[in-house]
Amino acid sequence: MLALCQRNFLLYFKNKTSIFFSLFGAMISFILFVIFLKQNMVEEWHQMPNATKMMDLWLIGGTLSVTAITTTLSILARMILDESRGVLKDFYLTDTSIFKIKLSYMLSAAVIGWVMQLIMLGLMLAYFALADGLAIPWSKFMTLVLIALAGALLAVAVNMIFGQFIHRVETMSAFESIIGAAAGFLVGTYIPMGALPQFAQTVIKFTPGAYVSALYRQALMGKQIDSLFAGNHQKSVFNQSMGIQLDWNGLLSFNQTYLIITVIFIAGILCIFVTELTKKYRGTITLIK
Amino acid sequence: MLIQAKNLTKTFGSQTAVNHLNISIQSGTLTAVLGPNGAGKTTTISMLTGLLKPTSGTVEMTSGTKISMVFQQSILDDNLSVSENLIIRSRLYKNCSQKYIQSLIETVGLTNLMNQKYGSLSGGQRRRVDIARALINQPDVLFLDEPTAGLDIQTREAIWQLLHSLQEKQQLTIILTTHYLEEADHADEVYIIDQRSVITEGSAEEIKRKNAKSRLILYTNEPEIVLKQIAPTIAGQQSGKSIICWPENSKQALNVLESVENHTTDFEYRRATMDDAFLNLTGKEMR
Repeated sequence: MLALCQRNFLLYFKNKTSIFFSLFGAMISFILFVIFLKQNMVEEWHQMPNATKMMDLWLIGGTLSVTAITTTLSILARMILDESRGVLKDFYLTDTSIFKIKLSYMLSAAVIGWVMQLIMLGLMLAYFALADGLAIPWSKFMTLVLIALAGALLAVAVNMIFGQFIHRVETMSAFESIIGAAAGFLVGTYIPMGALPQFAQTVIKFTPGAYVSALYRQALMGKQIDSLFAGNHQKSVFNQSMGIQLDWNGLLSFNQTYLIITVIFIAGILCIFVTELTKKYRGTITLIK
Repeated sequence: MLIQAKNLTKTFGSQTAVNHLNISIQSGTLTAVLGPNGAGKTTTISMLTGLLKPTSGTVEMTSGTKISMVFQQSILDDNLSVSENLIIRSRLYKNCSQKYIQSLIETVGLTNLMNQKYGSLSGGQRRRVDIARALINQPDVLFLDEPTAGLDIQTREAIWQLLHSLQEKQQLTIILTTHYLEEADHADEVYIIDQRSVITEGSAEEIKRKNAKSRLILYTNEPEIVLKQIAPTIAGQQSGKSIICWPENSKQALNVLESVENHTTDFEYRRATMDDAFLNLTGKEMR
C-alpha cells in the first residue's frame, strides 16, 4: 500500500502542471483578494485597528480550506484516470487487496492535501509578511498543522463520497472545475458570509470546508478579536459575518467546530465503506487442487 | 490441465461478446488466441485472468497458480522512470526478490533504459518494460493481450524470441492474443475465434492442413497442353498464361512439375499459410 502512496506522491510532485492546477482554486482566491477585494474589506472595517493584518489572516484561513479541497480532489482524480486507463486492473492482479488499493488513494490524497496546505500557508505568510508586515507567533504553529491535517482528512472523506460515483475522466475533470471554481464561495472565502443572502449562508453551513476555514480563522484571529471588541455583541456580529464562527442556534465554539468536523469525517468514511470499499472484487476463478 | 474454461459466455447488454467458449491450457505450453478485430479476444483473456466475470460458464485454475498479464494498452506511468515503475509494482507483491528483478532486467534487456522515463521510450522498448513488469512476480502463467500489435518486425521477432526463451527456460505457460496470423506458427495450441465463438482449434500445422491447401502456379506458353497433363483431382485452373493448381502435398506438386517440365517457363509453390486457413474459415467479407 505504501508503494501505491509513493507512486501517487511521485506522480503528483513530478508534474508541475498538476500541482499548479490543483492549487488553482486557492490561487484565485488569494489573487482575487490581493488585487480586488482586500481594499474594500479593509475600508469596511477601517475603525478596527490592524484591519489589514486581520483581513490577511481571514483570507489565509479560507484559502487553506480551499487548498485542502482542490488538492485532495486532484489525487482522487488520479484514481478515476487509473480506472479508465486500466491501471486498476493491473493492481487487481497483484497481491494487494482492492481495499488497500482504494485506501492508498485516500491516504495519499490526505497527505498531499496536508502538505500543500502547509506550503500554501508558508507562501501566504511570506507574502503578507513582506507586504503588510504580518507575523504570527510560533506557538500557533502546532494548532495550524493539526487543523491542516483535519482539513485534509475531511476533504478526502467528502470528495471520495462524490468520487466513487465517477468513472469517466471527462466527468471527473468537469467536477474538478466546478469544485475548483465554487469552493471559494462555498467555504466563504471570496466574499464574507455576512454579505451574502440568507440562502447562501445556509449553503455555506452545509459545506464541510466552511468549518475548516472557521477553525483556521479562530486559531489565527481569535486572540486579536478578543482584545479588539469590548462588547460581546460586537464580537459576535463580526465573527458571524466574517464566517469565523458559524451559527447553529448560537455561535459554534472552536471545540464544537472540531467536533462537527470529526462527525462529518466519520460519517463520510462510513458512507464510503458501505458503498465503495465493500464492493468486493469477486474472484471469478474456481481454484482446483 | 492448468486452466480450463467451460462454456464461457459474456454479454454486454444485448450484445454477446463471447459465446460458449471452451479453452483448456496445458502447463508449459504457448497458446495463441487468434481472431479478427472485435472477435472477442480481449474479453476472453479478461475472463481467463478473472478480471471480468463471465455471464455464464466457469474458469477453473489449479490452486496456487501465479498469473500475470501484459495489457494491450500500457498501464505503466509515463512520468516515472522505468526503474521507479518496476520497483513500485514489485512492492505490490508479497514475496518479490530484488535479485530476481535484477536478473529479469538483464533478460529483457532493460539495463540501459532503467533511468529513462517510461513515456520517452519507443513502442518496442515500452513493450519490453511491460513484459518485465508482468514477470516481476515470477508467474506460472503469463497472459499477453496483443503483445506485438503496432510493433516493427524486428521488435516483434525480439519479443517472440524472449517469449520462447521464457517458455523453455522457466517452463512459463503463455497465453496470448494476436491478429497477426503468421504468429500462430510459434504456438503449440491455436484457438481461432470469430463471431464470438471458437471456430477451430489445434496446432498451427493441423489447422493449416485441415483448412488450407498449398498452391502451385505454373507459367507456360502452352496452357492447353499443360492442363491436360494435370490430374483432375488437383484441379488446374487457367488464368491467362498461368495455371493455378492445388496439390495435396509437396510430393504431388513435384509429380506435377515433373510431368509438365518441358512445357513450363517458370513456377511458384507456396505452402498453405495461416492466412489461407483463416480466410477459408471466416470468409473474405469485412465486418
